[in-house]
Amino acid sequence: MAEAPVLSVQGLTTEFRIGGQWHAAVRDMDFQLARNETLALVGESGCGKSITALSIMGLIPKAAGRVARGRIEFEGRNLPDLDDLEMRKLRGDRIAMIFQEPMTSLNPVLTIGFQVAEVLRYHRDISASEAREKALAILEEVKIPSARQRLDDYPHQFSGGMRQRVMIAMALACQPQVLLADEPTTALDVTIQAQVLVLLAELKQRFGMSMIFISHNLGVVATIADRVAVMYAGEIVETAPVGELFDRPTHPYTEALMRSIPRVDRTSAELFAIPGQVPPISRMPQGCRYAPRCGLKQAICEQQSPPLEPLQGTATHFARCWVRAGGAA
Amino acid sequence: MLRFLIKRLLFAVPTLLAVLTVVFVVARIMPGDPAQVIMGDQASAEAIQALRARLGLDRPLWVQYFEFMGGALTGNWGSSMVTGRAVLGEVLNVLPFTIELTFVSVLVGAIIGVPLGVWSALHRNDTIDYVTRIGSLLGLSFPAFVMAIMLLLVFAIQLRWLPVISSGGDGSLADRAKHLVLPAANLGIIMAAYITRVTRSSMLEVLGEDYIRTAHAKGVPSMAVVWRHSLRNALIPVVTVVGLYLGILIGNSVLTEIVFNRPGLGKLIVGALTQRDYTMLQGLMVVYTFIIVVTNLLTDLTYGFIDPRVKYQ
Repeated sequence: MAEAPVLSVQGLTTEFRIGGQWHAAVRDMDFQLARNETLALVGESGCGKSITALSIMGLIPKAAGRVARGRIEFEGRNLPDLDDLEMRKLRGDRIAMIFQEPMTSLNPVLTIGFQVAEVLRYHRDISASEAREKALAILEEVKIPSARQRLDDYPHQFSGGMRQRVMIAMALACQPQVLLADEPTTALDVTIQAQVLVLLAELKQRFGMSMIFISHNLGVVATIADRVAVMYAGEIVETAPVGELFDRPTHPYTEALMRSIPRVDRTSAELFAIPGQVPPISRMPQGCRYAPRCGLKQAICEQQSPPLEPLQGTATHFARCWVRAGGAA
Repeated sequence: MLRFLIKRLLFAVPTLLAVLTVVFVVARIMPGDPAQVIMGDQASAEAIQALRARLGLDRPLWVQYFEFMGGALTGNWGSSMVTGRAVLGEVLNVLPFTIELTFVSVLVGAIIGVPLGVWSALHRNDTIDYVTRIGSLLGLSFPAFVMAIMLLLVFAIQLRWLPVISSGGDGSLADRAKHLVLPAANLGIIMAAYITRVTRSSMLEVLGEDYIRTAHAKGVPSMAVVWRHSLRNALIPVVTVVGLYLGILIGNSVLTEIVFNRPGLGKLIVGALTQRDYTMLQGLMVVYTFIIVVTNLLTDLTYGFIDPRVKYQ
């Protein structure tokens, strides 16, 4: 990698307290995000995708959770070391986040104009009217029709897709280096989904942002991501450039995920589902976390946790599997 | 908006009519004859009969009913069966005292209750939260009249800061305020206890909402998250509770007015009840009903101020 990464996560472990004990929801995450790159985090619900994003944002609820170990390096600083004020100044300015639920993620009693302008007011030294003008410009940028008339409207007067555009406008108002998009299209209709994806890709180009795109929808990931990291039970099990991953899914879990995508071009009426369930974080297996559900399981899989290792002949395709990724096999 | 107001007020008319009917019936079903009560046990049957005739109690019930309904709607509420003074005049005399007491109590309750509820919610399960919750529980469970007597003992009798009897005086503003302090504190503390609890639980709910997480993700300072992003959303249920408890407050004000010997609707109604003063009772019921209707209307209007999603039509 020639250029230094914009964001570098090393050994990130985020824990939650359940019944008086700390359990890791995300364990030993390592990844880097290059300038202008889109990294997709993929996995089923509860695999730690959102927790990873919230850890970067410093938004893990203090009462129940903590970033226990690891470094999150961004603009020369290690984010877990920053205090609340420094973190607040960073959020919404240098790193922004958009969420899954546009219907509930906007404040119902504040106008759209206010909510967008607010970001600028807290991060830039500008007057209320300047902030409003800038908010208008950014709302036009995300293609809100007749934005000027709509500045004083409230969220309930917007459709889901329009609200997600407003969310994007708020996130991009300060032109952040990194955008964390947590399932931004999951709650939208398919046609609106496509529009929002195109918009995100376009704005990312224009602003020169890097993006972490969280999704469980591999179809969406294929269209937007440069690189994909597949997560299972709080760990990255496989990561590769998007084309490579779809061509050569290596980890048995990735393979199973690909197989469970419904296909319209096949006649088979049956939908493949991965047998078993994700283990609860308080009862993680000792060895490979996927072993209990894996068809290729061998003796070692249940004893020792496999490392994330490069596949033979590549420098960019990694998998965490004893059987498929060399290692002990 | 104006149409909404007119519509709501028109809706109040059947409510009022129904309440008036119930009041009329209940007053007649109640054991005890007003003439008997007024004249006392020693009165002769003839004297009582004469009084009944004078009060119009000897006429058929339906005549009394229509006369009462007609009078109530045209503002002719008759005169007290006991004192002979006009009911409307009596009511209007004491109404300002009750309104003053209720208004100040709610204000005290809100000024104490809302910040305390917010504070408690922000320190969920800390010592602060426990102390606040126990305190508000105490405030709720304490009977109003017991607290009233304790306030009197401490501030009026021991410390002698405030008058024991909360009426009279020269009628100046300072004087009125002085007489208002203890009764308003009494009801205000109860109100504050209610408001604290509701604000706390409502705040806790709002703090867990997605849009609060959004505000944090935008880098909004935590003070602004609490006061601008959360509180306004949290106030919606608080307004409902204040509206509902205004009714209870008016009920509690009966006891407060008696303990503090303060003029007001509560004292008037207790007097009317013990003396079987039908006309006074009926007049007071109309006023109470009207107060509740207006309170509900004000509550609905307040929603519109707080929540832009509320539309009046």
